[in-house]
Amino acid sequence: MDHIGLFPLFYFPDIGSAWLMGITGTIHILASHTSVGAAMLFAFLAHKAYREDRPELYEYMKKYGMFLLIFSYVIGSITGPGIWYTATAASPRGISALIHNFVWVWATEWVFFVYEVIGVFALVYFIGKIDRKTHLKLTYTFALASVGTLMLIIGIISFMMWPGTDAFYVTGSASDAFFGLNTFPHMFLRIGFMIMMSGVIGMVISSALPDRELRFELTRKMGLVSMLGGFLTLFFFMWYISTLPESAEVLLDLYLPDIIATRIGLMVAFSLYFAVAVFVPRLINQPLASVMVAVVLVVGLWPGEKLRESLRKPYVAGRYIYSNQIISRDVPGKGIKSEVEQLAQVGFLGASPWIPDRLRTITPENRLEVGHLLTKRACSNCHSLEKGGKFRPLMDKVAGWDAATIKTFMQTSLATGAIPYMPKIALPEAEFDAMAAWIATQNH
Amino acid sequence: MDAATLNLLRDPAGVPFYPVVFQALYVLTFALHAAFVLLSLGSMGLSLFGATRQGRDPHWKILTPHLIQTGKLSVSILIVLGVAPLLFTQVIYDPNWYVTNALSGVWVFAFIYLLILGYLTYYWYYYANKKGSSSNVLVGTVSFLLLVFAGVLMHNFAVESIQPDQWMQWYAPQGVVDTSGTNFHIQPIRLAFLVSLAIPVVGIFLQNYSQFLSTRNDFSKEYLGFVSSMGTKFASIGLIISAVLYAFWTLEAGVLLHPLSLATVAGVVVLLLLAIKNSNSYITTGVLVVVALLISSVREYIKYQIMIDVGYNIYDYPMNIDWPSVIMFLLTFVFLGFTGVAFITTMAWNVGKTQGVFDAQNHTATRRLASVTLWILVAWCLFYFAWGMMVLFKNVLG
Repeated sequence: MDHIGLFPLFYFPDIGSAWLMGITGTIHILASHTSVGAAMLFAFLAHKAYREDRPELYEYMKKYGMFLLIFSYVIGSITGPGIWYTATAASPRGISALIHNFVWVWATEWVFFVYEVIGVFALVYFIGKIDRKTHLKLTYTFALASVGTLMLIIGIISFMMWPGTDAFYVTGSASDAFFGLNTFPHMFLRIGFMIMMSGVIGMVISSALPDRELRFELTRKMGLVSMLGGFLTLFFFMWYISTLPESAEVLLDLYLPDIIATRIGLMVAFSLYFAVAVFVPRLINQPLASVMVAVVLVVGLWPGEKLRESLRKPYVAGRYIYSNQIISRDVPGKGIKSEVEQLAQVGFLGASPWIPDRLRTITPENRLEVGHLLTKRACSNCHSLEKGGKFRPLMDKVAGWDAATIKTFMQTSLATGAIPYMPKIALPEAEFDAMAAWIATQNH
Repeated sequence: MDAATLNLLRDPAGVPFYPVVFQALYVLTFALHAAFVLLSLGSMGLSLFGATRQGRDPHWKILTPHLIQTGKLSVSILIVLGVAPLLFTQVIYDPNWYVTNALSGVWVFAFIYLLILGYLTYYWYYYANKKGSSSNVLVGTVSFLLLVFAGVLMHNFAVESIQPDQWMQWYAPQGVVDTSGTNFHIQPIRLAFLVSLAIPVVGIFLQNYSQFLSTRNDFSKEYLGFVSSMGTKFASIGLIISAVLYAFWTLEAGVLLHPLSLATVAGVVVLLLLAIKNSNSYITTGVLVVVALLISSVREYIKYQIMIDVGYNIYDYPMNIDWPSVIMFLLTFVFLGFTGVAFITTMAWNVGKTQGVFDAQNHTATRRLASVTLWILVAWCLFYFAWGMMVLFKNVLG
C-alpha cells in the first residue's frame, strides 16, 4: 500500500485553520503568563504582609486573586487545552508528534495544573480563614507549582522550534528533545514577560483601590515589578534569538526591520508608562491600565506569536514534520522514516487515504476539483487560499501568474526544496499540473 | 475504514509506555472528570430552581448561593481534570481522536469559546445572585445552556470517534470532499444516560453537604434535614432513571450482559440502597466513585471492542519506552499529586468545619503537609535544572 498516515483536512476559509490556533494561543499566553507572574507576585506580597504585619496587602491579594480567577483561570485554563484541541484539527500530525514524544511531560504538567487550580481557590478564598503562616506556605507552593507548569511546557514548545542538537534524532529520547539549546533562554524570556504582566495587570487592580495611600504604594510597586520584568524580557529575548536554527535566521532577516521598529515603539511606550507608575502613581487609573493590557495583547503578543510561528517554518514540530504534515527526515531513534520520496512517487492522490475514489485519477472533468483539493492539502497550513485572505494569501503571492509559470515555480522551487522556509514538496507532474490549473483560475 | 489504514494513522514515533497503562489512566481520569461534570450540571441546574425560590423560602436562600459556588468550583475542576483523559486517549487512539477533530474542526474551535463564554457568564450569575439582582435567573439560564451545549459538543466528538465506518462518508459525502469541519452527530440515548447521572450525583452531594455541616452549630437541624431529604429524593429517583437509560444504552451498544455492565448494575443497586438509607453519605460517595469507574470502564470497553472489530488493537501499538519521562511522571504524580492534593483538601475540610479562623499551626497533619508539599516542590525544581544541565552538557559538549 502506498498510503502514508495523513488525516482528513480541516480548512477554515480566509483565516486558515492554523491561525485559529494562533488566536487561541495568543489569548492563552496573556492569561497564563499573567497567572504565573501573579503567583510569583503573590509569594512576594504574602511574604511582605506576613513579615511586616500588613493586613491591607491581603485585601489587595484577594481582589487581585478574584480577578485572576476569572481572567486567568477561566480564560487561561480553557484556552490552554484549547490550543491543543484546535491544533489537533489544524495540524494533527504535528501535535501527535509532540504528544507521542512528550505525553509523560504533559501528564506531569497536568499534576502541577491540578495543584495550581485547586490551590488558587484555596489561596483566594482562605484569606482570613486560615492562619497567616499556613497561608504563606500555600502561597509559596502555589508560586512554585505555577512556575513548574512553565518549566514543563517550555521544553515542548522549544522543541517545536527545534531540538537544538542532533541527539534526539539519534536516541529518540524525550530528555534530548526537551532540553534543547533554546529551552532555558526561552524559559527565562517568558519568566521576564510573566513578571512584567503581573505588574501590568496588578496596576488594573491597584489603581482602583479606595485607600489613596495604599493605591499609590501598590501602583508604584507594580510599576517597579513591570520594569524589572520588561528588562528581563528584553535581556533574555536577545539570548533566545541567538539560539534559533539557521533557517529561522533567514526569516528573521526578513522580519527584523519591522520587529525592531515595533519593539522599540513598544519599549518606549511601556518604559514611560512604568516610569509614570513609579514616579507619578496618581496618574494611573483603571481605564488607562486596562487599555495598556489590551495594547500588550494586540501590539505585543499577537505579532510576537505570529513571528514565532513563522520562524519555525517549514516545520511544525522538531524539524522533522513539515507544516503540510509530511515527515521530512528520518528519526532513527524512533524508527521514523522520511515520507518526501514516497510522496514524490505516488503524490498526494496515491498517498492520502482520504481521497475519494472518483478523484484518485485525474481526468479533464475533475482536474480543477483535484487541483483545488491538492492545493488545500499542500498549502493551506501556511496560506489561505482565497484571494485577499488574511493568512499569507496564496493567490496574492502568485497574482497574475498563468498556469505554466505556477507549475514552473513549483517544479523548480518547491520540488527541489530551494526555499528554506517552505517544505520540499515534490509531486508527480500530473498533480502539479492540476494544482497550477486550479490556482490560475483563482489568482486574477 | 480498513485495518491497514487505521494502523497507518498511528504515530510513527510509537507510544512511550505500555498501552494498557494509558488506557487505565484514561478510565480513571475520565471518571474523575465526569464526576465534576455531573456535579456542576446538577448543582447549576438546581441552583436555577433555587434562585426562583430563595426570595420566599429561607432554606433556598441559604442553599442557592452554596449550589452556585459548588457549580463554579466544579466547572474549574472539571476543566483541569478533563485535560488528562484527552491526553491519554489520543496517545493510543490516534485515528479516532485526530479524524474526529478534523471532521468537526469548526465545532472544536467553537467549543473552546462557548465554554469560556458559558463560564464567564456563570461568574456573572454568581455575582448577580450575590447582589440580589433580578437578572440572576436569566443570566444563570444563559450560562447553563451555553455550558450544556459545550457538553453536547464533547458528546458529539466522542460518538463520532467510535464510528470509523462512517468517517469517509462524513468527510466526503457522495465522493465530494468537505473540509469545513462541520460534522455534528449525537446518540440521544447515550447522551440522555450520561446527563441523567447529574440527578443522583447532586443528590448524593446534598447528602454529603448536610452531613458535613451537621457538626457546625450555625446551620439549623431543620435546614440540614430539608437538604438531606431532598438529596435522598434526588439520589433515589435519579438512580432509577439513570438505570433505565443505562439498560437502553448498553443494549444498543450490545454490552448489556457483559460482566462490567452487570457489575455496574450491582453497584447501582448498592448505591440506591445506601442513598435511601442515608446513614453515612461518605460511604455512599465511596460507592459512587466505584460506580463511576465502572461506567467509565464500560464506555472504554465499547470503544475498544468497536476498534477491535475493525482490526485496530491498541495493545499492538509499537512501543518506544522513554523511562526518564515515565519516572518523572510517576514520582510527581505520587509525591506531589497525593501530598499536594492532601494538603489542600485537609485544609479545606478543616476550614469548612471551623467557625472563624482555622489555625493550622495547631493541626499537625495540615502543618506537616504544607511543609512537605513545599519541600517536594523545591526539590522538584532543583532536580529539573540539574537534569536539564546534565542533558545539555552531554549533547553540546559531549
